[in-house]
Amino acid sequence: MSEFPKEQNSIPITKVQRSAKFVSTGLKVGGNYIKHYSKKLFNPDLNTDELNLNNASDIYDSLSELKGSALKVAQMLSMDKNMLPKAYSDKFAQSQYNAPPLSGPLIVQTFKKVFGKTPEQIYDKFESRSTNAASIGQVHRAELNGRKLAVKIQYPGVGDSISSDLKMVKPFAFRLLGMSEKELAIYMKEVEDRLLEETDYELEVRRSIEFSKACSVLNNVVFPEYFPELSGKRVITMSWLEGMHLKEFLQTNPSQELRNQIGQALWDFYNFQQHELRAVHADPHPGNFLITADGKLGCIDFGCIKELPDEFYYPFFSSTSTALMENKEETIKAFRQLQMILPDDSPIQVDFFAELFKEMIGLFAKPYITDTFDFGEDAFFTRLYTFGEKVAKMPEFRQARGVKDFIYINRTNFGLYNLLHELKANINTDTFKPHVVLEY
Amino acid sequence: MTTKESIQSAYIDSVLTTGTKPKSVYSFAKQNEMAEQEFYTFYGSFESIEMSIWTNLASTTLSEISAQQVWAGYTSREKALGFYYSFFELAKSKRSFITFSSKNIKRGLSTPRVFEGLKAEFENFSYKIVQDGIESGELADRKLFADRYKDALWMQFLFVLKFWINDNSAGFEKTDEAIEKGVNVTFDLFQRSALDNLFDYAKFLLYNGNVKQKFGF
Repeated sequence: MSEFPKEQNSIPITKVQRSAKFVSTGLKVGGNYIKHYSKKLFNPDLNTDELNLNNASDIYDSLSELKGSALKVAQMLSMDKNMLPKAYSDKFAQSQYNAPPLSGPLIVQTFKKVFGKTPEQIYDKFESRSTNAASIGQVHRAELNGRKLAVKIQYPGVGDSISSDLKMVKPFAFRLLGMSEKELAIYMKEVEDRLLEETDYELEVRRSIEFSKACSVLNNVVFPEYFPELSGKRVITMSWLEGMHLKEFLQTNPSQELRNQIGQALWDFYNFQQHELRAVHADPHPGNFLITADGKLGCIDFGCIKELPDEFYYPFFSSTSTALMENKEETIKAFRQLQMILPDDSPIQVDFFAELFKEMIGLFAKPYITDTFDFGEDAFFTRLYTFGEKVAKMPEFRQARGVKDFIYINRTNFGLYNLLHELKANINTDTFKPHVVLEY
Repeated sequence: MTTKESIQSAYIDSVLTTGTKPKSVYSFAKQNEMAEQEFYTFYGSFESIEMSIWTNLASTTLSEISAQQVWAGYTSREKALGFYYSFFELAKSKRSFITFSSKNIKRGLSTPRVFEGLKAEFENFSYKIVQDGIESGELADRKLFADRYKDALWMQFLFVLKFWINDNSAGFEKTDEAIEKGVNVTFDLFQRSALDNLFDYAKFLLYNGNVKQKFGF
């Protein structure tokens, strides 16, 4: 990055002020939104250009002043392109890069608290200006014994503000997703749990080491080395990975071969974790990846890990197999286990939703069914979005369906699909296959 | 051997164990096995011990922060932040005493006696950073107001002190937030802002508007 983001001049001070910020944004959005019904979880681009841009900048303007979990929520929303119109997602995507940094003295203070020493005493060299924001923290360059390091520092009080920030985000979420409070509560809890995990840097270091070790069997995927002795509650030290972000990489006009190679690495990275480790890096934000000069995929953030419990993994990923889908009875049982079909659905509803979800998962599973898949093709994505739009308009979908695990798994896989689409990668999709169970 | 420091720590120990000030210099001296006379060669009263403890906190903070490599490169804003953080980091080691000593301060507009030395150190420091800031253009040089910047910083210091005394978050993380956010707001106000321009514009209109009327276009 050639230009440093402007340092933040003011952060809304108290919870009251933060609430006020949210409220005023809520009002603005309400105004922009008044003619619109918000849509369901699987919603694609809404095609309502006239207001989205306004909304996005209003929300973004307010969120970017908030930091911490609110920023995280912005990023999260920006990830779910299938859930948000493009105008939003483009605006939100900026949040990864434009968060204003914290003051130098606070960094010194944080180090003193974590290590009892100043950064100068720990590293041979430490840049007090951060290179970029990492949603709940910021990244600094450093050097020790000739090694280039990346030092991630967490903002103080992030953990505390997550719960209250999420409560304040709720009104947006209602508008954006159109769910009832009760339905939303389960999903919000899931998001809150993940976000709280992300604030635990000690956990992140342990996981990063674990995952990068497990994933070292994969081709063309690289990780920074982590230094637990130079990490603590609010600081993580890792080796500096040199590379380009996806956008910069694409601007260099890479060859099809190179794009396939990166795409393949991404696919393997995610599917190896999902099907072999049963826990997955659930933050496929472009900012979490770097593409190295020798054409490898670097993953630089293991803050968000979603574990896949068996009772979710088997019914969901088995339904990507035609063998299960041909057996209607077992399919319905699987859907029931996933709460996509609910206990008090009438037989007509059961049939209706079974058909619908079959179509939906069938569409989602297309890359799994063939041995290779061309993510560069627009047709697949158009179908995905059209289907999403169709579902969103269905009155039958007034009720939220699906277990909470869907949030992060959808986010992960749609995020992955989006990255692959942007890469226009044509890849082998049979490298790590789902494990299938045919009876429920 | 009796030193200023040994009297200080004996005094801190005494007030924190008993919860009150010693009854008299005589009893305090007796307890610490020295002559009352010896006490007076170092301090005139208990109050002056407390005052010197506060003052020492500030001067130690100042010498600590100015020894940091990054210090010279800091802006005035960062220097102020640095002072606050280091002061309260240092204050942790004397938290009980600080709580005790602050409790005995009577509310009022004038500076409490025990803060006099501390305030002098602080004002000296803030006067310097404000001047540097104005010279470098970081802060707006407003007539009349600019002289009061240091008072605003002192008020803020007292506010953070109170906040810290009541802070029970782990590692006093909330105090860090209060400092980061508060000092940033204060320095935003010290900077040239839209208000200055508005004021300037209003002044312009006031003068030039009148001219128009006088000539009666």
